[in-house]
Amino acid sequence: MILAAIPSFTELLGMFDMLKWFPENVSTFGHELDNLFAFIYYISLGIFFLTYGVLIAFMIKYRRKDNVKAYYYHGNNLVEFTWTLLPTILFAGIGLYSDGMWEKTKYEKKVPVPDVEVQVMGYQYGWTCRYPGPDGTFGRQDRNQMTTSNRFGIDSADAAGKDDIVKDGSFTFPINRNIVVGLSASDVLHSFFLPNFRVKQDAVPGQWIKVWFNGTKVGKYELACAELCGSGHYNMRGEVTMLSQADFDKWLSDESAKKLGVSFAVSPVKSDSSATKKNDSTATVVAVATTDTSKTTNKKSK
Amino acid sequence: MSSPVLVSDTHHDVHTDHGHHEHHKQSFITKYIFSTDHKMVAKQFMLSALFFLLIGGALALLLRWQLAYPGEAVPLIGQFLPELIASDGVIQPGLFIQLTTMHASVMIFFVIIPLAVGLFGNLCIPLMIGTDDMALPFINLLSFWLYFLAGIVAAAGFFVQGGAGASGWTGYPPLSAIGGLGQTLWIVAVFLVGFSSILGGMNYVTTVLNKRAPGMKMFDMPLSVWAIFITSVLMVLGTPVLASAVSMLFFDNVLHTSFFMPDNLTVASPYANGMKHSGGGQPILFQHLFWFYSHPAVYIMILPLMGVVSDVLSTFSRKPIYGYKAMIFAIMAIAFLGFIVWGHHMFQSGMNPLLGTTFMLSTIVIAVPSAIKVFNWLGTIWRGSIRYTTANMMALGFIATFIIGGLSGVFMASAPVDIYIHDTYFIVAHIHYVLFGGSLFGIYAGIYYWFPKLFGKMLNEIWGRRHFFWTFIFFNLTFFPMHILGVGGHMRRIHDPNVYDFLKPFQPWNEFITIMAIILGFSQLILFGNIIYTWIWGPKAPKNPWNANTLEWHAPSPPPHGNFLAPVRVYRSPYEFSHPDRADDFHPQWLAPGEVEIEETTTVSETQNTH
Ligand code: HEM
Ligand SMILES: [Cu+2]
Ligand SMILES: [Cu+2]
Repeated sequence: MILAAIPSFTELLGMFDMLKWFPENVSTFGHELDNLFAFIYYISLGIFFLTYGVLIAFMIKYRRKDNVKAYYYHGNNLVEFTWTLLPTILFAGIGLYSDGMWEKTKYEKKVPVPDVEVQVMGYQYGWTCRYPGPDGTFGRQDRNQMTTSNRFGIDSADAAGKDDIVKDGSFTFPINRNIVVGLSASDVLHSFFLPNFRVKQDAVPGQWIKVWFNGTKVGKYELACAELCGSGHYNMRGEVTMLSQADFDKWLSDESAKKLGVSFAVSPVKSDSSATKKNDSTATVVAVATTDTSKTTNKKSK
Repeated sequence: MSSPVLVSDTHHDVHTDHGHHEHHKQSFITKYIFSTDHKMVAKQFMLSALFFLLIGGALALLLRWQLAYPGEAVPLIGQFLPELIASDGVIQPGLFIQLTTMHASVMIFFVIIPLAVGLFGNLCIPLMIGTDDMALPFINLLSFWLYFLAGIVAAAGFFVQGGAGASGWTGYPPLSAIGGLGQTLWIVAVFLVGFSSILGGMNYVTTVLNKRAPGMKMFDMPLSVWAIFITSVLMVLGTPVLASAVSMLFFDNVLHTSFFMPDNLTVASPYANGMKHSGGGQPILFQHLFWFYSHPAVYIMILPLMGVVSDVLSTFSRKPIYGYKAMIFAIMAIAFLGFIVWGHHMFQSGMNPLLGTTFMLSTIVIAVPSAIKVFNWLGTIWRGSIRYTTANMMALGFIATFIIGGLSGVFMASAPVDIYIHDTYFIVAHIHYVLFGGSLFGIYAGIYYWFPKLFGKMLNEIWGRRHFFWTFIFFNLTFFPMHILGVGGHMRRIHDPNVYDFLKPFQPWNEFITIMAIILGFSQLILFGNIIYTWIWGPKAPKNPWNANTLEWHAPSPPPHGNFLAPVRVYRSPYEFSHPDRADDFHPQWLAPGEVEIEETTTVSETQNTH
């Protein structure tokens, strides 16, 4: 019984395997970030064993002994120079190597051409997401019209906003597409954290920040808030569903139908135009999808 | 009250020039409460900060309980918690974020900084540079009492409606700007404690520059003094920026200005009702100002202890410090670079990512002087003759944990790696490896090392070593697994991780960490017991129990008002250990060439000496 509880040698070694604790990665750049982590981790592990080895060896070897006097020595400039230069080179290397990844994931000018573009707004305590709808354009926004029931401040006077789809708490995206999120917050700071996609970006009220990712696997993933935003912070859970392009298209047209159906009920006068819009919209979505595929292939061939 | 103190100071200064001290009988109040004597101020900082350490520790254990056993009533004390914040003894989300906020704020502003600079600044500077007191004794008194007042203001938050500050120790607006009275008190407390730092810092700088004993050049100063000196420069340059940031925050919070508030926030907070900010402010501006101070502040919290550890290591290895000047240049480099790396806390904040690149490069560079210091410490114990006193074990423990804390810093310094680990338990692990494993171990090393000088009694070494082992082992068991949580994506400051499916598998780790933390917390009582026991019954300390070289060991233990019995002169550098031409393995700074000190053979030095 007790013996079984004692970990085997390989299990002990496994303790040093930090990488196994990562949640599954489902984004295109995620594994590159994980590899960078792993790279720094192995270097650190090397430095750790080296310095600890020296520390422990010295602590044992140079413990106080009778008749042995310590060595009267003040240090050596060449040694100082060497152990300044080596870490500088090593660390600068890590920095320069990291920078490519940083530019790729975060620089605004490197955000890829979007296949799907949405807006996400964090609020106390939840996330809400806005799709441009069948017309492919977001309706005009007006900060003065931002309320708890209209978090994006969609301007009711603008026709382009009529078909915008707003989803609260659970978002849907296609896989293998560049998803570009315009991120903001309506009250305090939040942080848009998709652990499985290795995405994190603070959401700042009064500011729109572009976040992008490209998912590789169909499934449901969790969205968390990583910046303290009040007592409900821990509970700011959202869900991201990744679908194949075909399923996503279907989802989108269902949603538009729902949305426009509602507006149909409210304003029967506009019913005709909305109905035609709906047809058109499906067409646009398909069209967008095809151009998108070419974009992704282009990107890959680069 | 202020004028008699000032008068007695001038009186005092006049007398030091003659080198003898005949003082008026001090009343209880001027001697123990509103004292201007640097040793009394040091004791006041030490005892109040250790008291705050108990409070901060208790807050941490409460929040750890909730993480390990979410939704279960806190045992023993749960029933005493007010119903609103802990229904039936279960910690509610609102209380939880107050706990994380106040735990961190107490530990940083009321424990580590006061101990690192308040205690060691006051204890070390006058004694180690061989003078009678600080240059500005009354400012010194003010510095302590502002700190004390700030502590009361911060603690008062728990007793007002809505509870204490709850925006994290970083207090980011808009959240902190829409908080209730407790949040306002937090802001005021940070402002006051910052002022205490500014006053202390300018006093230390002035003292070091003006009051060194004859013969002591800057490069004859022990590393503790060097480190505290440079730290003081950081405090004087950095803290005013914090003060201005929290002042603006105060205006936003109380007067509804908009330094940090953008237009038209739709805020649900009960305190924000009817709050009309004119808008046009920028939340990220606060973060820049805050970290412009608070990154240097993390070095304020560790540089003094790097100095202490250097002195302790050198003394107990009976060896000169390896690379004395390199150590000083490394401290200076850290201090300078410390002012240009603040953005590494803001990689994901929404600041221009272009700045992320610059801050990543500067941050990576700052790891270099930290590495140099570790190498020089290893060089110091190399071919030494190491004595395992409690102080030295704490110093070695400092190095061991600082290595891990520095390495985890490199992960976060890489901006793209930081994307994932930012705001997770990886950061919490880093903080504790540098601040608990680093700073607090350094503080303990200093306390065990200088307690005999400050209080005139020897702390118990057997209990001291027990304290070390329990702390070291359970420290690592508590905080190392937090790296694992961080890699798992576990966010910091969350009340219940089980909301997320991806965090559910980590529940056993949370439970494990909490149990280890409870043992770690209670192990600290050994220190408190040791201090109280020693204070009352401990053996009297000799003048120089460790056979050290620096000037404080020339003063009696404890030093009288005015410190030295006769004016001191300095003849050599502070680390002349084991010189081949000498029979003794040390050569104090105060001994004239050829002079021998007879009273040096003391009870403790018997066991410390190799003849
Ligand atoms: C090798 C040197 C170090 C490097 C490269 C480094 C790097 C970093 C970075 C990049 C962060 C921000 C991480 C994030 O929030 O995502 C950070 C956080 C932090 N560091 Fe360090 N660090 C180093 C040493 C230290 C030292 C010596 C201390 C204190 C004694 C310290 C205390 C802190 C604290 C308190 C935080 C967290 C602040 C918060 O609550 O967000 N660090 N460090
Ligand atoms: Cu949040
Ligand atoms: Cu920092």
